[in-house]
Amino acid sequence: MANRESKPADWEDFEAAAKRSIEQHIRNSFVHTYKPVLDDAKYRSFDSMEEYRRWCKENLPDWLGYSRD
Amino acid sequence: MAAFEFRSAQELGRVFERHGVKYLFFGKSGAILLGYSDTTQDVDLYLDKQRHNCVKVVAALLELGFRLTEEEQEEIERGKDFVQLRNGPFDVDLIFAPDGIERFDDAWKRRVEKHGFPIASMDDIIGSKQAANRQKDRESLPRLLSFREWLRGNK
Repeated sequence: MANRESKPADWEDFEAAAKRSIEQHIRNSFVHTYKPVLDDAKYRSFDSMEEYRRWCKENLPDWLGYSRD
Repeated sequence: MAAFEFRSAQELGRVFERHGVKYLFFGKSGAILLGYSDTTQDVDLYLDKQRHNCVKVVAALLELGFRLTEEEQEEIERGKDFVQLRNGPFDVDLIFAPDGIERFDDAWKRRVEKHGFPIASMDDIIGSKQAANRQKDRESLPRLLSFREWLRGNK
């Protein structure tokens, strides 16, 4: 492991998370945030990942980050 | 809809094991179970696409409380590459053909067991995000790569 001086900043986050109970860690990590369009249907299915990617590109707002562009 | 908590993961694990479902926690949710600190909304599950496994997946999902119509059940049993469920106790994405991974069995061999859960390896989680190459994947990769490095130093 890198010494303290060269430790990346986010390693402190990982070390802090490792000290929490798994119950608390999960509670902190799974946060429901409404995503427009994506969360507006109870069920969606796609025959291929290509079809899914195309649907995301054509239907989701760009700012959600699902586009490959 | 209730939030996904550790007891939700335990219940999912118990029910999937009872039905003999072959699955892996995947994506950011898998990384979180390995200790990664970040937030996500849904649970990503990578599932073996063989028909007998898909039949077990449907039975397990129904037992967990997901409300699937007969048509939806048949669709999943016939085999899809991606299914998004927002009709159960928590949000879940069923992934049968993730980018960057050829065969479920390969990912299964590389899996990590933690807290009693089968979890895809960080190499597979990262490799799939690199292959998917969406804006949100590109944004999350530096931190995931850093976590993999941290994890290697803390084994």
